Amino acid sequence: MIDLFEKIPILKRIVTLRVFPYLIILPNIFFFYLLLFAGLFGTPVGNRNIIVVFVWILWWAILIAVMVPFGSRIWCTMCPLPAIGEWLQRMTLTRVRPGETIRGFKGKFFGLNKPWPKRFQNIWLQNIGFLILACFSGFLVTRPIVSVIVLGGMIVISTILALIYRMRTFCMYLCPVSGFLGLYAMTAKIALRRKDPEVCKSHRGVECYLGSVKGYPCSWFQNVCTMTRNNYCGLCFECVKNCDAGNIALYWRPFCSDKEIKGYDETWKAFIMLGLAFVYSVNLLGPWGIFKDWVNFTESGKWLGFILLSLAIVLLCVAVLPGIYWLFIYWAKKLSGNKEVSLKNLFIKYSYCLVPFGLLAWIAFSVPLIMINGSYIISVISDPFGWGWNIFGTANFSWKPFFPNWVPYIQIPLLLMGLFYSIKSTYEIGQNIFSDNKQLVRSLIPITIFLGAVTLVFLRLYVG
Amino acid sequence: MSKKILIFFLLLFVATVGLIAGFWGVKKAKPQERNFTIEARQYAYSPERIVVNRGDKVTIKLSSKDVTHGFYLEGHDIDAKIRAQYPHFWLRHPSQSDEYEQVDEINFVAKKSGKFRYRCSITCGTFHPFMQGELIVEPNFLYPASVGLVIGLSFACLFYFYRKET
Repeated sequence: MIDLFEKIPILKRIVTLRVFPYLIILPNIFFFYLLLFAGLFGTPVGNRNIIVVFVWILWWAILIAVMVPFGSRIWCTMCPLPAIGEWLQRMTLTRVRPGETIRGFKGKFFGLNKPWPKRFQNIWLQNIGFLILACFSGFLVTRPIVSVIVLGGMIVISTILALIYRMRTFCMYLCPVSGFLGLYAMTAKIALRRKDPEVCKSHRGVECYLGSVKGYPCSWFQNVCTMTRNNYCGLCFECVKNCDAGNIALYWRPFCSDKEIKGYDETWKAFIMLGLAFVYSVNLLGPWGIFKDWVNFTESGKWLGFILLSLAIVLLCVAVLPGIYWLFIYWAKKLSGNKEVSLKNLFIKYSYCLVPFGLLAWIAFSVPLIMINGSYIISVISDPFGWGWNIFGTANFSWKPFFPNWVPYIQIPLLLMGLFYSIKSTYEIGQNIFSDNKQLVRSLIPITIFLGAVTLVFLRLYVG
Repeated sequence: MSKKILIFFLLLFVATVGLIAGFWGVKKAKPQERNFTIEARQYAYSPERIVVNRGDKVTIKLSSKDVTHGFYLEGHDIDAKIRAQYPHFWLRHPSQSDEYEQVDEINFVAKKSGKFRYRCSITCGTFHPFMQGELIVEPNFLYPASVGLVIGLSFACLFYFYRKET
């Protein structure tokens, strides 16, 4: 592992600037509000409106294929959605207001600062929210106004919640994007961690978590001294500012280094994401008109089809996929011959096998989006609202797919890479469950068959 | 056996299984003339999938049921404009010219095998970017080969981990 703060010292200097997150958040906010304006007042034709083209083609592709695998939750560092709420809580952009509003935590906060109810301190609500959004994805990715309603709604909800609940409650427990970012951030190349555990042990202040005069407490409620996963670290870098001992590193590490799924909420998130990668591949990338009619029910009038499809999506993600996976886990346990390993433990721990493959499946899904429809970016740059402008002289750039014949040659290696990382990670997880290598490999056979079958399903859709 | 040699042989095994599966999936067929009439509508084509063999002489007639649609066939330098209610349509070869010419049918020989999508190239409504169909030119070597790669990779991983000591 390489400590990027040591390798590139300027990086640490930048992230420890009090103005740092806002250096990227503010331009992002400006651009984001421009997108919302375009969604409200621009053309209703999706591929002519910058909000649809930039958010659902460009941003999505960069997020899933670059930011998450290489930058973990770096999007959360610059996300414009909770920025107003956070500013209202802090009542300042950069300064740390001295005081103690929340017991034990440094800094003065505006608002009620209530703790989020304990029974909701998980990602179930994010799972439900994402699943609901997914059912309406046909509208979300094609209608500018729907994008405005959803993204604008998220700003309103996050701002209201910021005034009621403490710090980044919305991001932690409600933001539908945050749920999958957290899950797939486990695979990321970078990780913010403490360096020497002994330094943390000998240091009683825990400023990294509780805040200090130099920085706010961790908005994500993460104690970097004990943090072992990327899931809930929003990379706000306040802990780096707070740590006097300089004991926090930004590591560049191998892919898929975090391997611990901790509960059913995270397991089901993995099912939902994999299920939706399949659903989107069928609905959006497939040739079947019937599914497009159902997804696009307001235009086609096929309400019953939409209801049936939505039920099928929910069933697939919540029951069918987990059910099939359970059968393979049951087989894995039986085949291992180890009676001491609990089925529940194996079910949760091995569910990480869906994470690397799920991410790579999403990247494979995104490849045609950017290569086929990417040329819309060139035209909307010159005419962002579809008003007939031609700012850079590219408004009339006609739709042209970029190397469409290459798409399957990119998708196949991505899926194979996902399969490989999933099998490898499952084996490494199994090493902590089984003491006997033969038992472990036997338990791996059903999982490999399951993963292989899932890969074949995606290959059938993409190249079959 | 050293780790590097083992990995090399396992990769060789994966590639061999992929190749064998690819060629095994190949079915030889005599070239013939194939005629299709494809109807475009918001936001799909009918038929949504057409299958031909490599070497077939393919003739496609196009019509539109509702609004003006495009028909961009990947890998074949074909882009057509289909207007509703018109018995003919307009064709261009993007690599040669931006100008369309009026035609009654598209003719080409399916020289390249694989999966080629035909997509709407003229904005036809909200769901336009996702309007597409599929032309399969058999033998679609890539599909059975990739299936072989999946099977080969799965076996190779299991074998590698089986040999590894905990």
